[in-house]
Amino acid sequence: MKNDRRGSWYLLTGAVLGVALGLIYSWVISPVEYVDAPPYALRADFKDEYRALVAAAYLYSNDLLRAEDRLAQLKDDETAQTVAMQAQRALAEGHPEGEVSALGILAMALGDGVVPVASSVPSTQKMINTTTASASTSTPIIQQPPASPDLTQQASPTLVSTPSAPQLTNTLKPASTATSTPAQGAAFLLQETKLLCNLDQTQPLIMVEIQDAAEQPVPSIELVVIWDGGEDHFFTGLKPELSLGYADFLMTPGVVYSLRLVDGGQTVNDLTAAECLSDDGSRYWGSWILTFIQT
Amino acid sequence: MSRWAKFLIAVLLGAAAGLFYGWVVNPVEYVDIAPESLREDYKTDYVLMVGEAYQAEHDLGLAVRRLAMLGSSVPSDIVANALSYALQHEYAYQDLSLLQLLGEALLTWNPNLEVPTP
Repeated sequence: MKNDRRGSWYLLTGAVLGVALGLIYSWVISPVEYVDAPPYALRADFKDEYRALVAAAYLYSNDLLRAEDRLAQLKDDETAQTVAMQAQRALAEGHPEGEVSALGILAMALGDGVVPVASSVPSTQKMINTTTASASTSTPIIQQPPASPDLTQQASPTLVSTPSAPQLTNTLKPASTATSTPAQGAAFLLQETKLLCNLDQTQPLIMVEIQDAAEQPVPSIELVVIWDGGEDHFFTGLKPELSLGYADFLMTPGVVYSLRLVDGGQTVNDLTAAECLSDDGSRYWGSWILTFIQT
Repeated sequence: MSRWAKFLIAVLLGAAAGLFYGWVVNPVEYVDIAPESLREDYKTDYVLMVGEAYQAEHDLGLAVRRLAMLGSSVPSDIVANALSYALQHEYAYQDLSLLQLLGEALLTWNPNLEVPTP
């Protein structure tokens, strides 16, 4: 009887020992080797490098389909947003301007299909078999929005009381619709200014939404806010959960601010924290919502 | 059958189960791989992107740093391998030209002239 019970235990011991040996061999001694890995298995920082390289290559080729195919290999959930966010990170981390610019351009192109203006530059190229031939290459010309000092004008804020805490995404929609679709480089004009009174958000903010002519949000736009004795810069796209074209700045009550886009556009003057009145008569700070649209 | 034979059979069955689990059911996952582990076609496309970017940026040092992510081989060899793969798989003429131009540029590259990147 005693020997029978020992029999079952030693078999179990043998099986456990075998499993342990098998796992040690398969996980440690000879693990599965991924020598033919796809790009989506890359480490996060290598994925960033990969995206930056796709953007740099896109600047040369202007081939949006190819760029999309390459980015699709990374299996990002929101490709355009991921590239835009990386552009923002690169900007914040002080990466080279060329990298930030390339990522921003690619993000915009992915977002709304905008393709940088290209010009053909012929070049003579030699193949590996030493046959000589010419190939046409394209070089993108990035047009920056021109500075428009003449457009400077004072904003005419319209008080809109919305004490029932509307959805931010709704309040940022412009009342009017831009119908023109000009070339890149057109200035951004102030489309609407209104005061948002929201009991859930009682800090006095300057909220900016920047859209292109197709009313698509535009990330990576630098804004400068100036007040007596100081100035600060901020960028659209840092809060992509709200909108890629959104940016905000916290005002100090009593200080008068001017705001403009660094690369051209309308200047909005005399922005200051404004109070709202709640249903019970108490006062709280509202936020200015400024919507700029590329004309 | 002796006890030792049964014991060894149990060990072998257990080892087979362990190997099956370790290699098939739950293999080691490389989720944070480096570009040098990419499949050959992806590597070639990576080199092609470096070639395209080089044509736009004209920064050979940057191209070399990007190629260095594909392993410790000499950059010109990495490009040569990519060009060889591209030729075998009949890449477009313009892509072959880009790889060729990058390879030629790398032949003139002197790492001693590189300005260190801060």
